[in-house]
Amino acid sequence: MTMATKGMPAEDTATDLPRLLPVNGQQPQDWHAHTARHGRIPYREAPGRLIADIQQAGLTGRGGAAFPVHRKLGAVLEAADARRRNPVVIANGAESEPASDKDATLLWLAPHLVLDGLQLAAEAVNAEEAILYTHADRRDDVGKRLQQAIAERRAVGSDRVPVELAEAPPRFLSGQETALINHLGGGPAIPTFVPPRVTERGLAGAPTLVQNVETLAHLALIARRGPRWFRQVGTAAEPGSMLCTIRRSDGMPRIAEVPLGMPLRDLLGPAGSDGAVLIGGYHGTWAPAAEAVKLTLDSHALGAVGARVGAGILITLPPDRCGLAETARIVRYLALESAGQCGPCLNGLPRIAAALAELAGARPRRQARADIERWAGLVTGRGACHHPDGTARFVRSALITFAAELDRHERGRCSATNTRPFLPIPRGSARTEEDWL
Amino acid sequence: MLENVSGINSSTALWYASRATGVVALVLMTAVVLLGLTVTRQGRLPGLPRFAVTGLHRNLSLVAVVFVGLHVLTAVADSYVNIPLTAVIVPLASPYERLWIGLGAVSLDITVAVIVTSLLRRHLSRRLWRAVHLLAYLSWPVAWLHSISSSRDMLHSWMFLLAAGCALAVVGGVGWRLAAAARDVPRAQRVGVLMSAVHDRAALRDRLTGRDTPAARDRRPPTDTLAGQTRTNRR
Repeated sequence: MTMATKGMPAEDTATDLPRLLPVNGQQPQDWHAHTARHGRIPYREAPGRLIADIQQAGLTGRGGAAFPVHRKLGAVLEAADARRRNPVVIANGAESEPASDKDATLLWLAPHLVLDGLQLAAEAVNAEEAILYTHADRRDDVGKRLQQAIAERRAVGSDRVPVELAEAPPRFLSGQETALINHLGGGPAIPTFVPPRVTERGLAGAPTLVQNVETLAHLALIARRGPRWFRQVGTAAEPGSMLCTIRRSDGMPRIAEVPLGMPLRDLLGPAGSDGAVLIGGYHGTWAPAAEAVKLTLDSHALGAVGARVGAGILITLPPDRCGLAETARIVRYLALESAGQCGPCLNGLPRIAAALAELAGARPRRQARADIERWAGLVTGRGACHHPDGTARFVRSALITFAAELDRHERGRCSATNTRPFLPIPRGSARTEEDWL
Repeated sequence: MLENVSGINSSTALWYASRATGVVALVLMTAVVLLGLTVTRQGRLPGLPRFAVTGLHRNLSLVAVVFVGLHVLTAVADSYVNIPLTAVIVPLASPYERLWIGLGAVSLDITVAVIVTSLLRRHLSRRLWRAVHLLAYLSWPVAWLHSISSSRDMLHSWMFLLAAGCALAVVGGVGWRLAAAARDVPRAQRVGVLMSAVHDRAALRDRLTGRDTPAARDRRPPTDTLAGQTRTNRR
């Protein structure tokens, strides 16, 4: 009972996971359940005070880039002071990576933890405006769920900064930081060149903090329990836990909250010992399952196969599918999702996609493989955003991981017995400018 | 001897210098406009990379300004006709050929604004720079009118052919620019258009190499990759 009044239910000891998601099952947490488990929002009563705790905790962005959160907070606060302008805080729940489902799940099950984090981040950088940016149609109706949560908070008066809900267009790039700023500013969700960094000049020119929704949820817990508690799980270099989207052979997404450094063998399950594993989603890396199961879920270990933790997507390719055909299908989708702005991406990705489709077919020309290698090198690092880079990484890892399959295709054979598409792709690509709005 | 043949002597030297530099300035400004049109379409010139076309546009415009400056200063310094210094900047301030010299002043003012905003481009918003830069399309015809009207003999000599050639070149260039813009694929459709282009090329190659037979299609592994979007199993 004493524990409960401090907001620490007895079942929630230090290393116990999940930390973010509800302990029991799939019941969304309303305001009452949320405060019973976590307690009220521990406001620091002044800007900047939370930043030292976040730095000690070593929290990094959970949207995929793993940028240290305290540095972003510090940069926004500094820019706000230097330019005497109130910053804006944006919770990024766009999660446009089709294979990922962890942000939608978090927003569905524990919206108040994210909204707590948004308030605390707003206080830390002295913001007077907060926006929650997401696809409202995910998970039945996550937008309605979030509206309810915001109404609940308004009723109890827990928030100090008003929160506005904003809808992300259904594009792969809509969660990209500069694309998101463009979209919220009334334009299409297409990336722009950096600098200026959004921490300096973001929405309407104001210093802007953009953090993934899971990052904000972690931040809300660090504010309550401190950096030492946060570091009790994870590795020394990459502390804490993270939400993962795991798809095994059945293709259904499972969301697990796991400590960084967890063996992939435990995540992929017994079926994942042969075949291939996709680590990090469609901008990620294919790796042979035999190698992947020896690794742990941290960027240091995953570097051995050229992969990173990213947004925590792990997919086991079923043995009856063709990895080349799956890759070709995804790269075609990625090419169509190019904003069509930068020459290397606009001209390069369609060619790579077409050549990959050839490799996925019977008896491809040898030239196609060399063309892809060359084009992948030519597009990397030459866009306003990292869309060409991520696509090139994905393609190159496929050529290495599915090298044996490629040889089979050159002889006119394929090991796949099931032609049904496995990796998920959203319906419809952009045709008009309105599709980006 | 030379003076008698060419008509150049100490009293006419400035007048001839002014006319010569004026003609060169017109040709240079025409070239600058044509290069500018090329730059807006990311066009290239034979043997030059794209950035060199941009550099040529910039540097040639500065050379043109030097010739305009010489043209103006020699005209003012020449004592045969009375063109006060103020008439260089202020339109209609010249007693001699009030309207036609005035047009030259208008063109010069616009050119100066275009050059200065370009030199300060890093400190200006793109929108402001572009708005001023578009005035170049006004500056050129005004300068052209000034050049064919200021001295009547130009309407009758071979120099008129030069002026007409410049006008044709600019009109043709602007026409090409507008036609190219009308053919532009909207940004949102560019990738799709390119995708179908490379797809068509691949299909054509298959047909030419005889790989696109029904039997070959049966043997092929799952490549619905180009057949169209597939249903998501998530949303």
